[in-house]
Amino acid sequence: MLSSVLLVGLLNLTGCSSEEKVAEVTPPVEKPVEKVPPAIGMEELKAAAENIALVPSPAEMQKALEKNGIATGLSGKVVDRPLKMDISNKDVVAVRTGVAMADALLTVKDAPPEKLVARLTTVKAGMTTLGGGTDIGATIDDINGRVTNGSVSREDLVKELDEMHGAIIPEIKFEAGDRVVPLIQAGSWLEGSNLVAAAIIDANNPTAGTELLRQPQVAEYFLKYVQTEGAGKAPDEVIGQLNSTLLKLKEIASKPTLTIDDVKEVKSQTDAVLALL
Amino acid sequence: MLSALLFAAITPAYADEAAAEACLKAKIWEGYNQGWAVRTVTNASLAQGEHRIYLVTLYAGTEYKLSVCGDDALVNADIVLYDSLGNEVARDNTADREPVVSFKAGATDTFYIAVHATKTKEGAGKAGVSTAVTYK
Repeated sequence: MLSSVLLVGLLNLTGCSSEEKVAEVTPPVEKPVEKVPPAIGMEELKAAAENIALVPSPAEMQKALEKNGIATGLSGKVVDRPLKMDISNKDVVAVRTGVAMADALLTVKDAPPEKLVARLTTVKAGMTTLGGGTDIGATIDDINGRVTNGSVSREDLVKELDEMHGAIIPEIKFEAGDRVVPLIQAGSWLEGSNLVAAAIIDANNPTAGTELLRQPQVAEYFLKYVQTEGAGKAPDEVIGQLNSTLLKLKEIASKPTLTIDDVKEVKSQTDAVLALL
Repeated sequence: MLSALLFAAITPAYADEAAAEACLKAKIWEGYNQGWAVRTVTNASLAQGEHRIYLVTLYAGTEYKLSVCGDDALVNADIVLYDSLGNEVARDNTADREPVVSFKAGATDTFYIAVHATKTKEGAGKAGVSTAVTYK
């Protein structure tokens, strides 16, 4: 309303024929203010939903494990993996980066400084290969510096790594393309699922398997990216195994309840991908 | 001079996603003191009446908080949570730009979070809206 009044006034000041110009200005129609948002139908929910918040973080998996009565921390189950980031297949680099990020998140509270720095340095190398820009590298360098000289508490580090995983990385526009973020998430989710499955097997608690590993839509979301190879790109052994693992995980996750054998199959399938990394 | 005035008078302000995100992050870091942790923060620019929908996996037994912060252009934002079948299961009851919905799922499943820019300031154009999923 204000803008249209100003518009009319300014046109008058310019010396134009106000009668002609005013006739061209249509008064804005006041839109009714909605007090309550309208209900959204199932079709629109499915079609318009974005997947950025779909995948639970590894730290969230650990918390959910505790809620299901399995107190065993996942950090003790994390194994050191030599994850090479100077390779040409960016899809594989993205998955490896996600695994390294999960390991850093799960061990941030109690890992020795040199191990935490090594894991974050691996994440940085992955970000560099994927073309994630210089800001993320500088952020990791800053964190590593503070971890090394002991000037940051582990509690504060938990927040900083959570922010990196959940808020910073998903918003980065990677030179390697839009597939990078989902494939980093896939790596983190596979590593988290593998460790969760191991903890559930140790506790012989298939009920926890039903509550923690039944995520068919997550597997489906990752499959969409894994099955869309870049033009002319030869299938990679890692991506091929990831594809068959995700298909099997989707099948298992679609069951109403999981048995301990199902959980063992999740462990075996995720082991098969992680072994190739 | 006149053209500059005219331009300023009819050009809507840009959505300030950074301001919305700063507001939300302050709440998130405050929440860490009460045991909350963050899964995702994401930003959008919405005009009055527009909405965004996010698919989320929620674990049984875990408490979740869905939080939104809007920039100065936003008057009222709303959050509505739907289950995987499209049934509404929770919504905020406030008429401000920082709504929160708390939710605990009975079983692990996927849900849809709808974030609405229900009302913006007159002539504001799009508003910056930041949304977070936190858990404990």
